[in-house]
Amino acid sequence: MVENKTPMIQVKNLYKVYKVGDTKVYALDGVDFTIYKGEFCAIVGPSGSGKSTLLNMLAGLEKPSKGEIVIAGNHIEKLSENQLVTFRRKHVGFIFQSYNLIKTLNALENVALPLSFRGVPKKIRNEKAKQYIKLVGLEKQMNHMANEMSGGQQQRVGIARALAVDPQIIFADEPTGNLDSKTTKEVLGLMQRIVKEQNQTLVMVTHDNYIAKFADRQFHIVDGKIFKIEEQHHEETKGDMENVQS
Amino acid sequence: MMRFSDLLSMSVNNLRRRKMRTFLTVLGVLIGTASIVVMVSLGIGFNELTMEQYASYGSLTEVTVYSNQSSGGDGKNEPKRMTDDVIAQFGKLNHVKAASPLLQADTLMSQGAYQANVTIIGVTPEYMDNISLKQGHLPDKGKKELQMVVGNMVARQFSNPKSRSQDYYDDPTKIPEIDFMNRPIFVIFDTDAYYQTQNGGSGDGKTPVKPPKKYLLTTAGLVAGGVEDYNNYSYNVYVDLDVLKSQLKQIFKKKPIPNQPTNKKGKPYGYFIYDQAVVEVDDMANVTEVQKAITDMGYQANSNMEWLEQSQKQAKMVQALLGGIGTVSLFVAAIGIANTMMMSIYERTKEIGILKVLGFDMNHIRDMFLLESGFIGFLGGVTGITFSYGISFLINRFLAGHFMPDMPGDLSRIPLWLSIAAVGFSVFVGMAAGFFPSLRAMKLSPLAAIRNE
Ligand SMILES: Nc1ncnc2c1ncn2[C@@H]1O[C@H](COP(=O)(O)OP(=O)(O)O)[C@@H](O)[C@H]1O
Ligand SMILES: [Mg+2]
Repeated sequence: MVENKTPMIQVKNLYKVYKVGDTKVYALDGVDFTIYKGEFCAIVGPSGSGKSTLLNMLAGLEKPSKGEIVIAGNHIEKLSENQLVTFRRKHVGFIFQSYNLIKTLNALENVALPLSFRGVPKKIRNEKAKQYIKLVGLEKQMNHMANEMSGGQQQRVGIARALAVDPQIIFADEPTGNLDSKTTKEVLGLMQRIVKEQNQTLVMVTHDNYIAKFADRQFHIVDGKIFKIEEQHHEETKGDMENVQS
Repeated sequence: MMRFSDLLSMSVNNLRRRKMRTFLTVLGVLIGTASIVVMVSLGIGFNELTMEQYASYGSLTEVTVYSNQSSGGDGKNEPKRMTDDVIAQFGKLNHVKAASPLLQADTLMSQGAYQANVTIIGVTPEYMDNISLKQGHLPDKGKKELQMVVGNMVARQFSNPKSRSQDYYDDPTKIPEIDFMNRPIFVIFDTDAYYQTQNGGSGDGKTPVKPPKKYLLTTAGLVAGGVEDYNNYSYNVYVDLDVLKSQLKQIFKKKPIPNQPTNKKGKPYGYFIYDQAVVEVDDMANVTEVQKAITDMGYQANSNMEWLEQSQKQAKMVQALLGGIGTVSLFVAAIGIANTMMMSIYERTKEIGILKVLGFDMNHIRDMFLLESGFIGFLGGVTGITFSYGISFLINRFLAGHFMPDMPGDLSRIPLWLSIAAVGFSVFVGMAAGFFPSLRAMKLSPLAAIRNE
């Protein structure tokens, strides 16, 4: 790993408690970790272990019950809802499991949409969107609507949309959950490559140990607690894949 | 910051997406706006028609003054007589543009076989300026001869004394054709003397009465309007006041002029008094004030304003009632908008969540919904106004003549301010109806987007 790492995300003593009827569900039960700039981290664990809860909290979509989250120097847990929206607009890209493209917009417009939130003029944002559409290999589908594309294609649009705003951090919740294994490999490889090239921080949630091996570090989470952090050294993305499989 | 144009195009796209629903909601606003506008236009039309009708009876800025007969009755109070001095005082009152006495002389006119009793009224040139003519011109200023301006219904008063038929009023074709413009009229001012000679002797049977002199008068102009169209000037003949005064003095010489005061010996005074005067006020709004000032001076003053005010009160009530009916339907349309916006939020819950995750400002979410509902209001308003013009046209074309044949003029009137106000109001109603839905959309949780369907 690179020396002199700058912390990007710091989580301290994080709790999330849901009240279901009379019982309390500890979705997160005291979580501490630090993610550094330029890292690709995976949060791995079985279903219901609290992965999504953790990611949503990092993205400011949910408030923690207790604890601190510091991202790029901002205390996320203290921000108001509108400040969180602003924070995401400035720092965060988000990749969804179910792609969540806007159905009335075509691929290009979907990618350009978050740029319009930042006040980027139409001409410039369309150019930029085109550039990212090309990067994910969808030049031919540029004008397709969401329902005119396959799952893999839609997720590529989703990735392009998350990346087009040049975010410091990208969050991805089961980004390949709805894709077949071949497409999964392609999409993961793409994410890995782009994020490395631009020195962005990527946090990905998955229940699949195999997918998690694409990451530099894996946080294994069970019942709301991190029980193991695993490091993975990647020489070359492609070769690494084969190592994992063997 | 996000550009307004981008926000606007997002809103418009959302409306385009649900064409049928947008259309139906707009239709609701259209009907609401149109019913308000049509109702108010009827109110305005009714009000203005009433005004026009009063205006056709005579100017609405005119106050007619009569010398107060009743107070002159008892010997104690000097009868309030209107002299030139008094008229000049009227002229100096606040808001009064001009004051003219009406010096009336009852005459007997004749042309060919026809004759008629016609009142000649001497008025100031300023008063004369208000009379609109269909032919000829007003009397030349500074001329010594009497030049007549003849009312458009004066011809109706003529009849042939030898034939008995007097039913001119029922059949306009039987009105005698008196040629005022090209042939002179014979006028007798001293009608008393005329009738005495007709009866074959003097009033007291002693001194034989000389038949009065006939004067040949020419006509300068004819008052506008046909023999059937009544207006304030229809039945009289108008001449210049000063010329009439000097003519009367000349005609009657030492004898008292009819209707003019005499001293105890029956000798005429050296000045004229008037039974009637007309005061022209600068604005309708000041008529009542002027009227009061004149009444306070001890004269009797009347104006069409008194009647008009009464009618206007009625018209206002009618207007309020009609407007109220229209407002109810726009209120229903507002509920329609609110409903549409709520439906839209339920449908778009996930989408709004996605936008929030992607960093779409909360205030912009609210603005987007307000723009959508405002735009529905705008479309409904504009189409509603267009529709109203159509309805208004149909009402005026087909209905008005049916129900109000005696009132010419448009019954439904849409002034420009009403159109603009209606569009503005429907935009406002749209936004107001969309306000709470928009707040709701703003507060939607972004987690909705994350949860898998
Ligand atoms: N809104 C909620 N209300 C109550 N319990 C919840 C809520 N969201 C998550 N949980 C519970 O918290 C735990 C963690 O959920 P989640 O983070 O979605 O798990 P994962 O993404 O790892 O499958 C689960 O037991 C789940 O039932
Ligand atoms: Mg999950």
